Amino acid sequence: MITTSPLLERLVPDDTALLGERSSAPGAEAWLETIGLPTARDEAWKYTPIDKILAATFDPVSKPTPDAVDLAMLNELAGDHRGPRLVFINGFFAPELSRNAMVNAGVNCCNEAALTIKPSGPYVATAADRTRFDGFQALNQIAGRDGAVVLVDRDTHVREPIHVVYLSVPGARPAATHPRTLLRAATSSEVTLIETYAGFDGPGLTNAATTIVVEPGAVVTHYKVQAEGAGATHLAHTNIRQACGSSVRSCSFMLGAGIARNAVDVVLGGNDATVELDGLYLPNVTQRHDNVITVEHAASACTSRQQFKGVIDDHARGSFSGRIIVQPGTTATDAAQTSRSLLLKPTAEADTRPWLEIFAEDVKCTHGAAVGRLDSEALFYLRTRGISEHDARTLLIQAFIAGMTEAVQPMMLRSHLDAAIATKRSSGTPPLSTEGSA
Amino acid sequence: MLSIRNLSAAIGTTHILNGVDLQINAGEVHAIMGPNGAGKSTLGQVLAGREGYTVTGEVTYDGANLLALTPEARAAAGLFLAFQYPVEIPGVGNMYFLRTAVNAVRLARGLPEYGAIDFLALAKEQMARLDMDPALLSRSVNAGFSGGEKKRNEILQMSMIEPRFAILDETDSGLDIDALRVVAKGVQALRSPDRAMLIITHYPRLLEYVVPDQVHVLSGGRIIRSGDSDLARELETDGYGPTFAGHARAPSASAPLNAVTTP
Repeated sequence: MITTSPLLERLVPDDTALLGERSSAPGAEAWLETIGLPTARDEAWKYTPIDKILAATFDPVSKPTPDAVDLAMLNELAGDHRGPRLVFINGFFAPELSRNAMVNAGVNCCNEAALTIKPSGPYVATAADRTRFDGFQALNQIAGRDGAVVLVDRDTHVREPIHVVYLSVPGARPAATHPRTLLRAATSSEVTLIETYAGFDGPGLTNAATTIVVEPGAVVTHYKVQAEGAGATHLAHTNIRQACGSSVRSCSFMLGAGIARNAVDVVLGGNDATVELDGLYLPNVTQRHDNVITVEHAASACTSRQQFKGVIDDHARGSFSGRIIVQPGTTATDAAQTSRSLLLKPTAEADTRPWLEIFAEDVKCTHGAAVGRLDSEALFYLRTRGISEHDARTLLIQAFIAGMTEAVQPMMLRSHLDAAIATKRSSGTPPLSTEGSA
Repeated sequence: MLSIRNLSAAIGTTHILNGVDLQINAGEVHAIMGPNGAGKSTLGQVLAGREGYTVTGEVTYDGANLLALTPEARAAAGLFLAFQYPVEIPGVGNMYFLRTAVNAVRLARGLPEYGAIDFLALAKEQMARLDMDPALLSRSVNAGFSGGEKKRNEILQMSMIEPRFAILDETDSGLDIDALRVVAKGVQALRSPDRAMLIITHYPRLLEYVVPDQVHVLSGGRIIRSGDSDLARELETDGYGPTFAGHARAPSASAPLNAVTTP
């Protein structure tokens, strides 16, 4: 357990006026005070260098100057996927870079502070209703300033993807931001949400929390792109709560940050709900990319799929922990999980941990994990056809990850991802600023 | 064009080639025959630059030391190996692979690269000649191809890359008689006075369509007998015989070769 008070003092802005009217953290402070932040002994934090994260000191963020980011930079960092876009810089809403006029009727898409009518119902997960709550989520609720809110009404089909962008513009000293995103898709609605975390290089902590509430029969497509600067630490929790007959596809692409942990927690709370979770992580140099996935089958006849792929280079480490919980009293559960990682160098490291807790009998549950290197037969074959070793390796790596971006819609996002992945693969990650490379 | 002198290859302590000597001139087609385990495929792999073998001896190709080159540099210099077991590469499109390969080799030879449209037209033309389903272009490289489709895909690559020196490693094995004719036609089409070929085969069938200038018998990692195309027919009638089998088992034994040179 970590004594949290000094940390809170460091992280929570003293200017209470900045916190606004937010009243969504019942119990979070008490929770943090009594239980504290995770430690290295915490199973769910096994692979993340938590001591290193906690050893850093963070200043409260300062509001960036209006010209810190212009539209061209934003488009380069986050891509422009048309449609509505909410942009936050260091946690502050940037209306001049945002675009929410294009939303069709039945959609409320704005920053949280601007929300006039608070939505009813379970729109923010609290410590009280959660067993997998942790100190960083509590911290997000206490210290977070503003966030994106997307509320989709009943039977509303939102045609254009809604893009939420969190940019980090590091200052002279490391700062922490706690962005929050809420998507609520009401009964029989349909929506695509793209979350992008990007920024300029420099030390900092992003502690993000995303809640996706999916009501009966609603269809949600969710993309999370993490392309933060190499000096950043990125901790993210995505909580997905699904009602009966709902369907969610959530894809995570981890490219940036020095240390990144992507936690996804799904509760299938109504019968016949379906969730597909895809993840691609590409750590190189000394990056750490961890995926911590939990899918809880709390109702009958639900289907879940997890498909994660890692390409790990240099001295980087990548991990996948996939937990499937099937609650007692449920029937006809269909759960599957696969994890594949490709190690490009002997110094790269991959960890895979399936974790199945099945308390019901009528269950079809499969899991598979593979860690391997590039196929030397295939490399030789390509090279005998005149393709250079470098190009042959690139081709095989592309082939390994191709399936992950092929299914991405909209096309603009897919192109942006393909380009970002290609850039990363061809140039390698720039040296970490914390390494002080000459 | 290609000159092999005292070539030996081993994996660890297992000796596979034990001093191969072979001279192949431009315009010639040579066939290598021999029993299983004689080292035929290893010869092809070593010439193409496969890593993992301890190789001694000399191979000069157009006067240059072939063994010092990377596999891709050998391809750029005009060498091509049609694999006995073409590798399946899921996720890499056959069309993309083929164009990347052809353009890489063309670039190395100072020729202009093909654009996507020209290339597609050319590929389809060649595929029609090889009686190949054009749908195979949009599949992953060899993935889920039948044995015959894989072999045709090798010949397609060869026809498009236009190598100066082609090694065909058991390209005929596993083909029915119709497929064999088609493949043989593709091989025959590439025959020219400035090119040479080395056909590795287990059976003399292919050699009825592509008549070689010389036939060599490889056994126990050495060439124990050479002759003209009649040798292939002779081997078909008589087999490799007990003496050859003996060589395969004991590569270092100096058996009297003249015992089998004349029937």
